Amino acid sequence: MTAVLAAEWVKLRSVRSTYTILAVAGMTVLIAALLTWQGVQGWDALTPDRRARFQSPPMEQLLSSPVQLCLAVLGVLTITAEYATGAIRLSLTAVPRRWPLLAAKTAVVAAVTLAAGEVVVLAIFIVSRAIVGGRPIPGNTASLATELPALLGLGVSVMVVALVGLGLGTAMRSTAGAICAVVALLVVLPTIAPLVPAPWGGRLGAVMLPNLAGQLAGHAGTPSGAAVVLAGGTAGVGSPLLSPPEALLVLAGYVAMALGAGLVAITRRDV
Amino acid sequence: MIEVRALTKRYGRTLAVNDLSFQVRPGCVTGFLGPNGAGKSTTIRVLMGLDAPSSGEALVAGRRYAELRRPLHEVGALLDANAVHGGRSAFDHLLSLALTNGIGRRRVAETLEQVGLAGVARKRVGGYSLGMRQRLGIAAALLGDPGILLFDEPVNGLDPEGVRWIRELLRGLAAAGRTVLVSSHLMSEVERTADRLVIIGRGRLIEDATVRDLADRFRTGVLVRSPRAAELANALESSGASVAAEPDGGLSVTGLEVAGIADVAARHAIPLHEVTARRASLEDIYLLLTASSVEHRSRDPRPAR
Repeated sequence: MTAVLAAEWVKLRSVRSTYTILAVAGMTVLIAALLTWQGVQGWDALTPDRRARFQSPPMEQLLSSPVQLCLAVLGVLTITAEYATGAIRLSLTAVPRRWPLLAAKTAVVAAVTLAAGEVVVLAIFIVSRAIVGGRPIPGNTASLATELPALLGLGVSVMVVALVGLGLGTAMRSTAGAICAVVALLVVLPTIAPLVPAPWGGRLGAVMLPNLAGQLAGHAGTPSGAAVVLAGGTAGVGSPLLSPPEALLVLAGYVAMALGAGLVAITRRDV
Repeated sequence: MIEVRALTKRYGRTLAVNDLSFQVRPGCVTGFLGPNGAGKSTTIRVLMGLDAPSSGEALVAGRRYAELRRPLHEVGALLDANAVHGGRSAFDHLLSLALTNGIGRRRVAETLEQVGLAGVARKRVGGYSLGMRQRLGIAAALLGDPGILLFDEPVNGLDPEGVRWIRELLRGLAAAGRTVLVSSHLMSEVERTADRLVIIGRGRLIEDATVRDLADRFRTGVLVRSPRAAELANALESSGASVAAEPDGGLSVTGLEVAGIADVAARHAIPLHEVTARRASLEDIYLLLTASSVEHRSRDPRPAR
């Protein structure tokens, strides 16, 4: 198993797309800095009573969706690039039992995307708060110490989305198909969920992939919490329905379902 | 040793391989021939554990491929030379395969040297010519120094020098006692390399024989030339042979072998200028054998007169 793991690590580090994706994910830190700087300029020009009504979501929430999407593409490509080129056949002649191949890909993608997710989310937080400085902008005042659970939760959600991408890519064997499915989970379904009549709209919203990181951190409901993660500019759930352990369970459920479907496909189907 | 036993593979309603059985022995090169769509690649995919048989079995080294623990040490295969991630270097491509089977970097470098790619090992495969990719695919097959080798259309896209290189490589591997199976849809590609031929068409076995046996079976008489042709024809006919005159004055004799014809001529003191046993070319035999199983037949390319 460690042998297959080493091989998958070689595969991941030896293609350009890995570095391109990580670079794009890293660019969100730059975008966070620019957006914060712009916000701070506006804030400084405001009168005190208008400052009280100033709205600015924290950057790590605003930008977690693009980071998730980037690394979901990494998860998808890890397997679909092999199906697209046909190299999967060679890979499976070297690892004929097949499941170790998916297991090794899962481990490598999990490690890389968790590390990348945590680094980028923390960097966005640290950079944007440094630019905010001491300004009491609503939603941007909490310290790193108090925000840390929420930030770590966002990093975990990046890994979860990447693994969902890997699982869907393995099940569908198509880059375009799997990326569409990830976008549906991250953007389309969370947009539709609140439109379902109460109380189901809220309940569905609570288990939508982009809304779980905040509930995982237990911050949901407070203005500075991450419960309302914006997905493509549309609102998620308003109040927390899931406790942190429940949110973790649902996140794990997404991973288990996607990778489970991938495992069935890779072990049962002809290649 | 490769054993295919009553193998049948269906894709939906298409019967790709139909009750196919044959064996490939070590120590010689076996050509695996058939027209496009005959089921060669399907058979090889089943042998390599990539496709599951609908019924029957395909064994390598006495076992199903999926049961091999370190398969690259027992079986090496070139399936599709273009099935490589173009963004990866040849070295990293082979290393990722090698590591799964406990093969080290030194062996990877050695194999690249063997196929003549050492100089471009760190270059991205995307920039390789088809010939270089074939060499890379062969390097992957040789990585674990396996006793069984399967090559699916290995000379596709190779220049004459590359074709000769593969031919010598295959002969060398077989001479070293390995089991070598080479598929092709062209007889001309394997006739100078293979000792045995397994010919299939429409998923069924058509012929499993040595090249020599096959050529002997399709012998088409003996060509004889003599300045006293008419006399010789009479003598041969009275010895039980049948003789037909060729337009250029030669005689086409069937029913007597070269030795028998020479004996008859000697007995009658008739000089012989030529006695040649005529065989159909392997290409002709192959076309004859597979004529009824060609998937997409083209019309006669000669212009109508």
